Amino acid sequence: MLLLKYIAKLLKELSSEAEPSQLAGGFILGMIIGLTPVMSLHNLLIVVLILIIKVNIGMAILSFAVFSGVAYLADPAFHAFGVWMLENESLRGLWTSMYDNEWLAMTRFYNTVVLGSFVSAVLLCLPMFPLTMFGIKQYRVHIHARVQKLKIVKALKGTKIYSIYQTVNRVRG
Amino acid sequence: MRVKGIIFIVVLVAIGFGLSMLLTDSWIEEKIEYNASVANEAKVEIDGFEFDLFSLKIRWDRLQVANPKNTMMNTFETGDTEFDMDFWPLLWSKVIIEDVKLTGFQLDTERETDGYFEMPIDESGEEEEPGFISEVTNQITGEIKKNAQTQIDEIKTDIDVDALMAKVNLQSLNKMDSLQTGLQKNYTKWENTLKNNPIEKNVDEIKKNVDGLEVPKLKDPKQAIAALEDVKKLSEQVKKLKTETEQLKKDFDQDFNNSSKSVGQIDNWIKDDIQSAVNVAKLPDFDIQSIGTALFGGNLLGDFNVYLEYIGVARKYGSRFVGADEEEKIERYEGKNFEFSDKYDWPDLWIKNVSLSGKTKTEIDISGTITNISNDQKKTGLPIIIDLGGVDKNKVSLSVKGELNYLTDEPKENVSVIYDGFSLKKAKISPSNLLPYELKEGKGEVSAQLDLIDKKIKSEIGYKAKGITFDFEKAGKPKNKIESVVRDAIKSTDEVYATALIDGTAKKLNIKVRSNIDDLFVNALKNTVQKEVDAAKKKIQNEVERQVTEKRKEVEKIAKEKEAQLRAEYEKLQAKVDEQTKKVEEKKAEIEKKKKELEDAVKDAAKNALKKKIGF
Repeated sequence: MLLLKYIAKLLKELSSEAEPSQLAGGFILGMIIGLTPVMSLHNLLIVVLILIIKVNIGMAILSFAVFSGVAYLADPAFHAFGVWMLENESLRGLWTSMYDNEWLAMTRFYNTVVLGSFVSAVLLCLPMFPLTMFGIKQYRVHIHARVQKLKIVKALKGTKIYSIYQTVNRVRG
Repeated sequence: MRVKGIIFIVVLVAIGFGLSMLLTDSWIEEKIEYNASVANEAKVEIDGFEFDLFSLKIRWDRLQVANPKNTMMNTFETGDTEFDMDFWPLLWSKVIIEDVKLTGFQLDTERETDGYFEMPIDESGEEEEPGFISEVTNQITGEIKKNAQTQIDEIKTDIDVDALMAKVNLQSLNKMDSLQTGLQKNYTKWENTLKNNPIEKNVDEIKKNVDGLEVPKLKDPKQAIAALEDVKKLSEQVKKLKTETEQLKKDFDQDFNNSSKSVGQIDNWIKDDIQSAVNVAKLPDFDIQSIGTALFGGNLLGDFNVYLEYIGVARKYGSRFVGADEEEKIERYEGKNFEFSDKYDWPDLWIKNVSLSGKTKTEIDISGTITNISNDQKKTGLPIIIDLGGVDKNKVSLSVKGELNYLTDEPKENVSVIYDGFSLKKAKISPSNLLPYELKEGKGEVSAQLDLIDKKIKSEIGYKAKGITFDFEKAGKPKNKIESVVRDAIKSTDEVYATALIDGTAKKLNIKVRSNIDDLFVNALKNTVQKEVDAAKKKIQNEVERQVTEKRKEVEKIAKEKEAQLRAEYEKLQAKVDEQTKKVEEKKAEIEKKKKELEDAVKDAAKNALKKKIGF
């Protein structure tokens, strides 16, 4: 029910209600969680960020779901990238000092997949944030009207759950 | 900023904190009890468990570890116990405890409830192989049972030979029957071989041919040469026959050697029968080992097994993880951890120091330390060191020292236990009926030293009773002759010691029990009952020999007669072959001589004819 709520809200906000930067913010934060091992300290911080700053939670969930699948395929590449970084002599001092600090060691950046996927995800944020904003704007202008006419969307809108959700939304104002 | 989000997080944290305050104690207690019970194979129960999440302090009022072999008893229990866990290792799922203060430690206490624990089904299906220690304890248990069967007080010198022989199944008779059947078969085989062999026929043929060569009838050298060729062929034939005869002799000798060996075994079979009859009669051999073993073996080895079982438990858990490095696996979200220093290379569990205090069953206040209990000594680099001891007001002392070392692939244990100065007043120093006397006074000492290296054991366990006086009056008059002899032997002794030495491997374990009263008993017993025992043995020997002698003579007679008969037949055959060999050689010489004469005559005639022609 909660998931459906966020999907419906996402569809609504995609149309015109939310700022593209909020949607893109949710997208890249969800992407980081999706691409990196879920049970990591940095992901706890990202979840807190998603909850307290104004990013779109539905977009974060969608992005997390999509990039979890991508990460499954990309793990060997993240591992290889992590090995390259951890074996890099010029970075050795940094890794050792991070490893010897208990707080920083909790991030598990001494693990090839954690480090490889995290650095990859952060690097991906740089192009993904503006690209997502651009995509949302393009969606609103060119695609949204056509999506509304899709049979699946109509079917979704015709469900009892959606009408209850609409009613609740109206009541809540 | 999303205010609702901040409130949500705060509420979530508050609920988590509240739940952890309310539920952690019982949840952790339950987890510890369950996992410890699985490891112990019997209930492990904690009462009054408290866990302080902020200081990471754990304490309990009572811990009971049930004995899996007797679930109405605890292997040990503790009273008030308190310790702190290190914070950082917990984040790496490692439990490191600096100092445990453990009070009220007691071994072998009774339980109010049954400590049976229903073990979960092992889905791996792997059964643990019996370890070295369990093999050794099984062997020692077997030795204890054997000792129990060789009680000296079961000596019977007055035996009913007929009744005894009815119980004894004389194996030598059956064996001799089988031997006789085997010999008969062999003799028949050789009779047929000698009767039906072609050698004799061929000898006759050769003889006929040799006789047919009439040397005087040879008139010219040509005839002589032809005859010589014939005799050479006969010589070849006779040589072949000789070879065949020799091979026959070889086979014959080999077969009869085997038969002779079997006949020679009869003495051993009879000896075995005599010994088994003696065993059924339970006539003992009076050597030092059997006396010491009968008096103290059961108790010493029983105690030894108890100590060994404790070491077995330590080895089971202590060396389980030695050398069990996990294979590197790269799976989804697994990756490979790089270790830039050994800072987090902790074992899963490491209790650095246990300060223990408690009481023994005999009310000795014991205290001491056990250091570096860990599940992976390779990571701590330190073995478990045990140093416990105590003395009571009567100067009765107990000391337990040991080192459990699993640093290498060869587990090593070294444990020494000394319990000294306890009173022996009104005690018996042996459960044997040979020593039924209580002591009026005396002090006891029990000591054990166990050294184990992987699958080798070297250990010694001993009892010492010092300053003792036996209470013969209370036991009344000796009930039999042996008891009387024993009393005489020990009345002047004020110290008794007994030692069991156990060393070797599970495959070859040497167990010896020695006592200073061995010699006294042996001399006393030998002087009185040895003659009767010898006479009883002689009776049994005579009866066994009487029963088997007839059969033995029969078998030996058959063997002797048949062998002689077959040997004579063979020799007859050999003589025939030899005779023909000689004859052929003689005939050959004769023909060669005749040939020379004929050739000379031809030469002379030719010479004379030439002389006539040239006019000499």
